[in-house]
Amino acid sequence: MRNTGFTAHDGIVLAQGLGVSLALFLATFAIGLALGALAAVVRHFRPPVLGVALDTGLELLRNSPVLVQLFLVFFGIPALIHQPLTPLVAAGLTLSANTAAFVYFIVVAGLDAVGREQVEAARAFGLSRAQLVRHILAPQAAAFAMGPLVGLAVNQLQVTSLVSVIGVVDLTKAGDILNLRTLRPFAVWTMVGVLYFAVAKGLTLLGHRWERRLRAHAAPSGL
Amino acid sequence: MPFDLTVLLPHLDALLAGALLTAEVCALGILGAFALGTGLGTAATAGGWPGRLARLYVDVFRNVPFVVQVFFLYYGLPEVGVYIDAFWTGALALTLVGGAYASDVVRSGVLAVEPGVVEAARVSGLTRLDVFRRIVLPIALRTAIQPLGSIFVNMVLSSSILSMITLDEVTGMAKGVAAQTYRPFEVYAFLLVAYAGLTYAVSLGIGALHRHLNRHMVAGGGGRA
Repeated sequence: MRNTGFTAHDGIVLAQGLGVSLALFLATFAIGLALGALAAVVRHFRPPVLGVALDTGLELLRNSPVLVQLFLVFFGIPALIHQPLTPLVAAGLTLSANTAAFVYFIVVAGLDAVGREQVEAARAFGLSRAQLVRHILAPQAAAFAMGPLVGLAVNQLQVTSLVSVIGVVDLTKAGDILNLRTLRPFAVWTMVGVLYFAVAKGLTLLGHRWERRLRAHAAPSGL
Repeated sequence: MPFDLTVLLPHLDALLAGALLTAEVCALGILGAFALGTGLGTAATAGGWPGRLARLYVDVFRNVPFVVQVFFLYYGLPEVGVYIDAFWTGALALTLVGGAYASDVVRSGVLAVEPGVVEAARVSGLTRLDVFRRIVLPIALRTAIQPLGSIFVNMVLSSSILSMITLDEVTGMAKGVAAQTYRPFEVYAFLLVAYAGLTYAVSLGIGALHRHLNRHMVAGGGGRA
């Protein structure tokens, strides 16, 4: 006897999947944000070889499908180093690196938007490089970058749906599992879509509120 | 096993066949997205229910992952009696999502057209439709071409996801080659660079097109080039 009806337990399966998607998104976005911003700050001081290497490598990551990146990390790297990777590690590595690539270009643009004369003035006042980054560059670049970063966050949340292909049981995989048992793909994918939609909308609202707060101190003529 | 790209040589024709399918499905998707985006973007500038409907559409398709949309179309629609094969599902899915993104770009392009230009055209006796078709849309598209280009590039990258609904486009073919050769690293590294090279070429082309379309414009007053 095969039970094809929806049960209360299905809600738990979906909720668990949603939890995995959210946790993966939050962790990889935080790592990507830190790494990408750090790389952008390094690049801002124009190191001779490193700058070009960062630009090329991250441009490659930004301009290739995340699915192929996932396959490269999950199937390719173990074949090369003869060490298996778990799906979760592969997914975490790929999404963090991918997020870092996008963050890098956003933050580079944000840093470039801060006027050169401010940097010179700060240096003339005797601020060290670290102080310059902390007190002059970071607050303004953050205000410039916040809008694009919110958009990126919504995008990266959706990108996590791809990790289901390498076996991470996220929301999409949970939908897949439900679909196999209930054979009701129309209802299942609608539910999964609604859940993703709700989270993405919530994220957007939260981001915009944060953006307004950051911009409160920026001069209105900033853009 | 050291890194060795020559293992791919016997499988180049398979990869090329996949690349051709990628090109076909993307070409259809881009054409569709351009048409849908222009329509929706224009509707979104209107008030009342057409505007609200267009904005709702954009909201839905931008906030649901592409995989889920594709699964809904490919696995969900047959449940209600609509059967579309993998290729046309792919073209349709790319059209629907690309149209949503393109719509936002077209909308802001249309809103950026100076009202004076429209008024001048109206005074010259052009009908509303003519003003839109011959004045507003060409100007809007001229400013929109660059962001539209990056949307189209993103659609090409997204098309790799269609391998998940059994469409043997280039990523799907690469999966097969990786399984046959036991050399997944070489296969996917090559594929990654190929996609990046392609998107780079497309963005160069879009840049050239942008300059061509704006060749008669006076260089901006001191803005960043």
